[in-house]
Amino acid sequence: MKEQFEPNVVAFLCNWCSYAGADLAGTSRVQYQPNVNIIRVMCSGRVNPLFVINALQQGADGVLISGCHPGDCHYIEGNFYARRRFGLMKELLDYVGVDPRRFNMSWVSASEGNKWKDVVEEVVEKAKEAGPFEQFRRNKINW
Amino acid sequence: MVDLEKLKSIAKETVSRDDVKYLIGWRQGTYGFRVSPHFVEKPEEAEELIFSPLCTNNLASYLVLPEKLPLPRGVEPDSRKVALMVKGCDSRAVVQQIVEQGIKRDEIIVIGCPCEGVIDLEKVEERFPNQLESVTAQWSNGKIIFHLPEGNEEIPKEEVLATKCLTCRYPNPVLSDLMLGDEVETWGDEKYEDVKELEAKDPQERWSFWEEAFSSCVRCYSCRNVCPMCYCEDCILDRLNPTWINRSNNASENTAFHLARAFHLAGRCIECGECERVCPAGIPLTKLNRKLSKVVQENYEYIPGIDPESKPFQSSYRPEDQEDFIL
Repeated sequence: MKEQFEPNVVAFLCNWCSYAGADLAGTSRVQYQPNVNIIRVMCSGRVNPLFVINALQQGADGVLISGCHPGDCHYIEGNFYARRRFGLMKELLDYVGVDPRRFNMSWVSASEGNKWKDVVEEVVEKAKEAGPFEQFRRNKINW
Repeated sequence: MVDLEKLKSIAKETVSRDDVKYLIGWRQGTYGFRVSPHFVEKPEEAEELIFSPLCTNNLASYLVLPEKLPLPRGVEPDSRKVALMVKGCDSRAVVQQIVEQGIKRDEIIVIGCPCEGVIDLEKVEERFPNQLESVTAQWSNGKIIFHLPEGNEEIPKEEVLATKCLTCRYPNPVLSDLMLGDEVETWGDEKYEDVKELEAKDPQERWSFWEEAFSSCVRCYSCRNVCPMCYCEDCILDRLNPTWINRSNNASENTAFHLARAFHLAGRCIECGECERVCPAGIPLTKLNRKLSKVVQENYEYIPGIDPESKPFQSSYRPEDQEDFIL
């Protein structure tokens, strides 16, 4: 039996909305794939675009950035800056030939446990289709 | 066309002012078509100043390079102004530095030089190889005249102009205190043809193109050092904790470096093309930068380095920014 490829997705969630949304999904026992590795940040505006490059280098097959809906940011405008930055980052990654399915961004609020499940399913599905990321992954030194 | 006598008299006048530290301009280099930056501190040094199609360097880099060391107690900071000669593209760099508050408007005197396009050294050296004597050049009705030792050579300017100059939108300085000569007519228009050509290819081809380009990088960081917009005192490439980009030279780190460099210039790059000019490995860096310029212009309607009153691109937003890529 051929083993199915299980992607490794790194998700940066904002503390106030998306992390709470993922928490709600957990407490309401919503089942979703275990392929996401969640990293909590205080705001989606705190996510440095280099995090994305670094995650891909260190073995992520997909990246997800999730924050509050526009206008709901705990810090008033953090997600507006994030939207601008990652709009550019997405274009840049696409331009150098990285599969656009690897980079995702979403708005998930604290009450959207079910939306979080949908987002994860979609992101994992896309990463699965894109396959293992090898373009500029850091190679482990094989002594 | 810039009158050299006028340039010299203006330079002398400027440098003799008490509130001016020095003037940065160009002078003839030591051999061939080379031109070097010239720091004029005394009026008599202004005699060496030139402005010709050979003046490719973007001198705006020198505005932000001086290190600002902490002063001993009781010592007043040197608040004298710096005068700078700019072409159209250089003036955009100055504007962008003002927008980012890298320099203050009242710390500089901008001497605008309307420019009809500068040469690409490689193209010229291919035509006239092994020039050991210093060569001068000048513009003349859509042609460039080179004063070679064996006689004058006239060449249509399209054949020797730098690639960035062929699509130049701002040949006249967008910001200047003193203008040398009359404004020239704009001849180019930016359509981002080369970027569109690469965009049309499929992702695999694009990746192999960039992989090959990035793998020849030797990580000399010339592109960073020459860039008028790369002036962070604490650059992520020099920082060890956190180590954003490892120092080893391999495909992964090189790609990360180039993506980071391009991204840090997103919405700031004024397309002077200095990074590509100095690159010893010949990496098409402007193709990467211009892609982001294109996105910034088309999707966000922002052109950097035009309006000194505007806000920096990445530290501002509009509520109606596009978000069709968000799930």
